[in-house]
Amino acid sequence: MAAITTGSAVSFARPAKASSVSSVSFAGLRKDNVAFPLQPATQRFTVLRAAKQETVDQVCNIVKKQLVLAEGTEVTGSSKFTDLGADSLDTVEIVMGLEEAFDISVEESSAQSIATVEDAAELIDKLVAAK
Amino acid sequence: MPLPHPPPRTPGVAGARLFASLPPPPPSPLQSRREVHVWYVCPDELNDRSQLDMYMDLLSPSERNNALSMNGPRLQKDAMLSRALLRTTLSRYSKIDPRSFDFKKNKFGKPEILWRSDDSNMEWPLHFNISHTSSLIACGIAMDVPIGIDVEEKKRKTTKSILSLARRYFTPSEVEFLAKIADSDAQQKEFIKLWTLKEAYVKALGRGFSGAPFNRFSIQLETNSRIQISKAPKACNDSDSGDYLSENWRFALAELNSSYYMAVCIEDNSRGFENGPVPLGLKVWKTIPFIEDTLVSGTDAVKLIT
Repeated sequence: MAAITTGSAVSFARPAKASSVSSVSFAGLRKDNVAFPLQPATQRFTVLRAAKQETVDQVCNIVKKQLVLAEGTEVTGSSKFTDLGADSLDTVEIVMGLEEAFDISVEESSAQSIATVEDAAELIDKLVAAK
Repeated sequence: MPLPHPPPRTPGVAGARLFASLPPPPPSPLQSRREVHVWYVCPDELNDRSQLDMYMDLLSPSERNNALSMNGPRLQKDAMLSRALLRTTLSRYSKIDPRSFDFKKNKFGKPEILWRSDDSNMEWPLHFNISHTSSLIACGIAMDVPIGIDVEEKKRKTTKSILSLARRYFTPSEVEFLAKIADSDAQQKEFIKLWTLKEAYVKALGRGFSGAPFNRFSIQLETNSRIQISKAPKACNDSDSGDYLSENWRFALAELNSSYYMAVCIEDNSRGFENGPVPLGLKVWKTIPFIEDTLVSGTDAVKLIT
């Protein structure tokens, strides 16, 4: 299914490009984090961010280092790894960098559902909290 | 072969030339299910504004939006060229206008052609796969079989050490193989070769990175240049040999322009064991779509490693 975007770089309204398998796991991930019942998937972008800003910032730094981005390139919570030019080798190195920085272990299936910096930060917070 | 009437150009596109709507077909079509054709572009060499506008014109609205949402002009251009390369390549093998293709994703997110019921001139469905590096975009085409392709710069630097990457993602036998290589440059090159082969397999399989985790299958480049792929044995299993996947998957590994490793993988269920496994036939073209096509396989530009 083609993703129709507004064309602007940063927007919570843009749907994630995850395949249907991973969006199921993404929704499942969130249920553990929030006390109130979740909105259905079509409305999930109105839910407040669950990741800590500190975590998001750390992820941004690791991503910037790995991808050697041009001066002034903006990386924020909603930045998508593929839009930043990360290929598969970059992605696994980023995951390894996150594992080392946060002393966690990320399974392949969880890693596959990460599309944005925000997704990574949420997964990290969850894994750190579970330790 | 007469070309169909070109569609009207959008008014106001300054300097646009009237290009034929179909790029020329390759000199020889795909001969069999064991043949793979690869077409690649070098984005850094494509800077002519009117050419780029024409390529952009081939994209669907959502592809255009997608390309424009990439971070920065270089990534936007690469994303656009990737779609233009795909559409023009498919057009060569199907006589369908590059603009006309629709695409979908399988349930794991692998892109596929959405064929229409009136595409009756296609006897066998085309399969494709795309790989990007920052300086080259390649599109592999096969007839009737799933295909995966991965291209990587030979000298690509990793931020993590080779062995730490291998330990995290590869199988024990692959780590052992890499650890034995004393020279760090040679070790890095072997790592990249293994990486592209494993990526090509996972992409051919089409189930995503977690559908075939890298540490569950081993790839071995044998001395007779055959590529062996096998399931890694489970920890509790004493035996050395895992299940062999080699019967069903064919690989080719080549060095491209002395700067890249390119791995291609296709499924092959043909039970063709007459004289042992038949090698995959590989043809490679460098293209500037609508402008120039250069067959590079069979020259020094493409050195088969397998």
